[in-house]
Amino acid sequence: MIRQTAIGMMLLAASGLSAADTVKIALTGPFSGGSAPMGVSARDGSKLAIAEINAAGGIQVGAKKMKIEIIERDDEAKNERGALIAQELAAMSDLSGVIGTVNTGVCMAGDKHLMEKGVTKIICPAAGSASMTQWSKAGVKDLSIFRFAAHDGIQAAMVVEEAINRKFTKVAVVFDSTNYGVSGRDDMLDQIKKQGNKLEVVAQEKFNIGDKDMTAQLLRAKSAGAQAILIWGIGPELAAVSNGMAKIGIKAPLIGGWTLSMSNFIDNAGKNGNGTLMPQTFIEEPITPKAKSFIDGYHKTYKVDRIPSPVAAAQGYDSVYLMAAAIKQAGSTDTKKIKEALEDLKEPVKGVIATWNHPFTKWDPADVTTHEAFRREQTVMGMVKDGKVVFGNDADRARLIKSATTATPAKTAAPKAKKK
Amino acid sequence: MNAAIIGQMAISGALMGLVYALIAYGFQLTYATSKSINFGQGELVMLSAFFSLTLTNLGLSQHWGLGLSYGLMVPGGLIFGAIMGLVVERAGVRLALEQKSEGWILLSIILGLFFFSAAENIWGRDDRPFPTPIPEEPFHVLGLAIGPREVAVAVGVLGIMGLIELLKRKTLLGKAFEAVSADRDAAELMGISATRTVMLSYGLSGSVAALAGILVSPITTVGPTMASAIILKAFSVAVVAGLDSGFGVVLVGMFLGALESLASFYLGSGWREAPGLVLLILALALRPTGVFGKATIRKV
Repeated sequence: MIRQTAIGMMLLAASGLSAADTVKIALTGPFSGGSAPMGVSARDGSKLAIAEINAAGGIQVGAKKMKIEIIERDDEAKNERGALIAQELAAMSDLSGVIGTVNTGVCMAGDKHLMEKGVTKIICPAAGSASMTQWSKAGVKDLSIFRFAAHDGIQAAMVVEEAINRKFTKVAVVFDSTNYGVSGRDDMLDQIKKQGNKLEVVAQEKFNIGDKDMTAQLLRAKSAGAQAILIWGIGPELAAVSNGMAKIGIKAPLIGGWTLSMSNFIDNAGKNGNGTLMPQTFIEEPITPKAKSFIDGYHKTYKVDRIPSPVAAAQGYDSVYLMAAAIKQAGSTDTKKIKEALEDLKEPVKGVIATWNHPFTKWDPADVTTHEAFRREQTVMGMVKDGKVVFGNDADRARLIKSATTATPAKTAAPKAKKK
Repeated sequence: MNAAIIGQMAISGALMGLVYALIAYGFQLTYATSKSINFGQGELVMLSAFFSLTLTNLGLSQHWGLGLSYGLMVPGGLIFGAIMGLVVERAGVRLALEQKSEGWILLSIILGLFFFSAAENIWGRDDRPFPTPIPEEPFHVLGLAIGPREVAVAVGVLGIMGLIELLKRKTLLGKAFEAVSADRDAAELMGISATRTVMLSYGLSGSVAALAGILVSPITTVGPTMASAIILKAFSVAVVAGLDSGFGVVLVGMFLGALESLASFYLGSGWREAPGLVLLILALALRPTGVFGKATIRKV
C-alpha cells in the first residue's frame, strides 16, 4: 500500500509536473484501522475541494495560476509512524502546507517536527485538547500549527451541558486509555466543575483499544447508580460499550465526543446505538445548497451512499479552502508566508460548514483559541438514528442554516476567557 | 458487592469461556493423532469468520433473508474451515512429521501469518459487524441477564464437541481415530492409514475453529486481529486441562472465563488477562500433564 503510493508518486513526479508549477499540499491521516473512517473521510473531503480548485485552473498565486499537487501519507493511527511522516514532510523544502491527522497521539508525536521547521499545518479533524495546549504549555512564541475541528474543550462543555439539561445528577465517565481518551476525561471533569458541579461522577472507567467486552466497566457504573454514561473513545470500542449496555440493560443514553458519529460505531452498534448523542460540526443533511452539492459530490465521487464520517469530510473540505485562500493572499507557496496569511485572512471563505470570517488570529501562547477555528456556535448536537446521524434538535438546524448564509462574526477581538 | 453482580460476571465469563474450550478442543484433536498442534489456529478462526461473513452477505444480497443466509452459511463455513485445516496439514505438518522434525511448529506459525496477511488484503483491517438472526435482547433468569447469542455459543460448542466424541466412539472412522491416537505404529500394522487419520483430525480441527469463529463474531465483530487474544487463552486452557481431555477443556474454559471477568470487575479491566497466566504457571509447575491429563509413561 505504502509502496504503491510511493511508486505512484514517483511516476507522477516523473510525468512532467515540474515542481515550480504546483502547490504541494500533504494530506495525512489513518487510512486503515479503527480510525480509518475519519482519516479516509477527511482525505476524500479534502481531495474533493482540491479537485474543484484544480478544475477551475488552480490557485491564483501572484501572477500565475497554480494547481495543487497532493502528497498523501497513511499514518495508520500509530504515533511512531506519524512522527516519521512529520519528519519526512518537514524535510521537504517546497511543501506549502499539511492538512490532516485524526489521532491526538499522532499530533503529539509528529507536530513538533513541523513546528520547528515552521511548516504550516491545519490539524483536521483531531480534536484532543492536548494537541494545541501542548504549545501554550511550552510557551511557543510563533506557531505554524492551526486546528480546524471542534476541540474537546467545546465538545466536553456540550456533553456536560446535555447531561445537565436532561436532569441527570449521577454519571459515569468512561474513556479509552489513549491520549485522546484521557484528555477527554480531563476535559469532562473540568467542565463538570466549571458548570457548577451539578453532576456527581459515580464511576470512572477505562478501557483499552481492542477491548470487546465492557461488561465489567459497565456493571461497575450501573451498580454505582449512574444515570448516564459520558464517554470518550473511538468507533469500535464505543460500539462495544453500546452493545454491552444493551446486554446488561442500561437504558441511559450514551453521550460523548464526536467520534460517536463514526461509521464503525454506528454499524457495529446497530440499533443499540439509537439515541446516542454527540457534538457535530456537520450533519449529512442537505440543509443548504452548498451542503447538498458537497454531499452529492462526495457520494458520487467515492461511490458511497453515506459518508463514513461527515464531520471529518466537511472539515477536510473547508480546511483546503482556508489553505487555498491563505496561499492566494500570501501570493506565494512559501509555507511561512502562508502561515502569516492564515493568521490574518482578509476575505471571508465560503465553506460547507460555515462562511469563515477571519477564523484564526495571531498566535498567543496564553490563548489557544487564536489558532482554533471553531467556536461553540458552529457546533451542534447530533443524534444517531437508524444508521445515520441526524440533528439532535431542530433549533440547531435552523441556526446552522443561518450561519452558513451569513458570515460568522469576525474574531479579531477574541475574548480572553481563560483565567488560571 | 452483591451476589447478583458476581453471578452476572461469572455466567457471562463462563459462557465466553466455552469459546476458549472449543478452540482448545481443536488442539486436542490434532494432538491426539499426530502429537502436533496448529499454532496458526487463531488465524483459521479469523479466516473462517471472514469467509462466513462473505457467504452471509452473499445470501443477503440475493434477498434470501437473514435466517436462510445464516443457515446456509454455517455448513459452508464449517466446510471452509475443514479445507483450511487440510491445507495446514498438507503444507505445514505432514512433511515435518514424516521427517520426525519439530518443523511443524514454525511452519504452522508461518502459515498463520500468511493467512493473516491474506485476510488483511482481501477484507481490510477494519472490524465489521456479523449479522445473525439470533436476537440480542437478553432474557432474565434469577435476576441474571443472559444473551441469546451467548446461549448459542454454549449450544454450538457443546453440540459439536458431543457430536465429534460420538463419532469417535460409535463409527469405524472414529475407532480408527482412537486407534491411531493410542498407538500409531500398531494401528498402521492393523491396516489403518495413519496419514488419512491425521488428515481427518486436521479437517475436524479446522471445522471446530470455523465454528468458534462463527459463534463468537456476532458478539465481538470480525476483524483480522479478532482471534489474537482468544487464541492465547485457548492455549492456556489446553495446557491447564491437559491435551487429552475433552471434558477437561470445557470445565477449565468455563472456569477461566468466569475468573477473567471477575478479575476485570474486582481488580480493574487492566488485570483481565492476569488470572489465565497465573493459572498457566501454576499448572505447569504443579501438574505439567494438565489437571485432567493422563501421565504418559515414556519407555526408554
